[in-house]
Amino acid sequence: MKETELLIQIIDNNNLWEKEIVISRNEYLKVKGSIDTNLYFIKNGSLRIYVIDEFEEHTIRFGYQNNFIVSLDSFITEKPSDFYIQAIKKTSLKIISKKTFKNLINSNVEIQNIWTKILEQLILQQLEREKDILTSSPIERYKRVLKRSPQLFQEIPNKYIAEYLRMTPETLSRIKKS
Amino acid sequence: MKFKTEELIAELIEQTRININKVEKFRKLSEEELNHKENIEKWSILECIEHLNLYGEFYNPEIRKCIETSNSKPSKIFKSGVIGNYFVNTMRPKKKLNKMKTFKDKNPLGSRLNVEVIDRFIGQQKDFLDLIEMSKNINLTKTKTSISISKLIKLRLGDTFRFIIAHNERHLIQAENARKLASR
Repeated sequence: MKETELLIQIIDNNNLWEKEIVISRNEYLKVKGSIDTNLYFIKNGSLRIYVIDEFEEHTIRFGYQNNFIVSLDSFITEKPSDFYIQAIKKTSLKIISKKTFKNLINSNVEIQNIWTKILEQLILQQLEREKDILTSSPIERYKRVLKRSPQLFQEIPNKYIAEYLRMTPETLSRIKKS
Repeated sequence: MKFKTEELIAELIEQTRININKVEKFRKLSEEELNHKENIEKWSILECIEHLNLYGEFYNPEIRKCIETSNSKPSKIFKSGVIGNYFVNTMRPKKKLNKMKTFKDKNPLGSRLNVEVIDRFIGQQKDFLDLIEMSKNINLTKTKTSISISKLIKLRLGDTFRFIIAHNERHLIQAENARKLASR
């Protein structure tokens, strides 16, 4: 997504990152109930966003090197969010607050357009994700995700991918072999 | 003492996140390090966490029951009670951790412990986060819970939450001290 790379460059060039942190494997960036309006950029490592429903974890999104990760609901509404954001492996992050970010976006039309494009892409991703959930064949669900995010399978362990694909790790192994 | 409910809740959630992370870090240690006892009376890391699990086994269901049966309406302010405040202040870890007597049924010494203790602690913290979420719909001052040592003493729910966090903090510091000794 070249707009994301552009945005990262602009933030870099303007020195707007407010904090850099390193979190260990399994540590939580965010837990259920908190408000989190930060935008996180992953320098290296990987994270997952999940919710808990009836004691079961459901991973809904991943982030890995050079991705942004954010609790989008809280970022937009500035209200508490049920999301958990957890490091899958040791991860280093750069952080920019919503306030600083919004000032940047509002500072010129070009940057505003970049952000609009990024949001449009996010919406399209959400629509694809909705179709994922409605796809009843596990093989088809696997193929859809493999096609749009082949890198996922390099970065993220199988057990989390299986959760994301809403199948058991055994089923995923079987599908990958065939 | 008066608190803004929203601020108190945010603080409880953040502290819980920090506690989860502290304990997740312990997963990296060997079972030997986790069970290391400097001497017979000093608790190992797992004993500290198991002690917290024993408290959680009482408090989480008790809090859940009190929230579910409460008819109160939420308020923007939480007023802590005298007893609650006293309990919280006594439990809060001071600069130099003072020794406190542990009630017999909450003494983890002598039990068989492994990494599953960590899993249970994390599970209890996630349950605790659910309870905090549920508490947004009722009144933290008017809803009261029992305490583990006596059914006769009741704490305001806000104080129960604060007490649990202070108690967790205290024993996690103890666990971190144990870790320093284990890796010497």
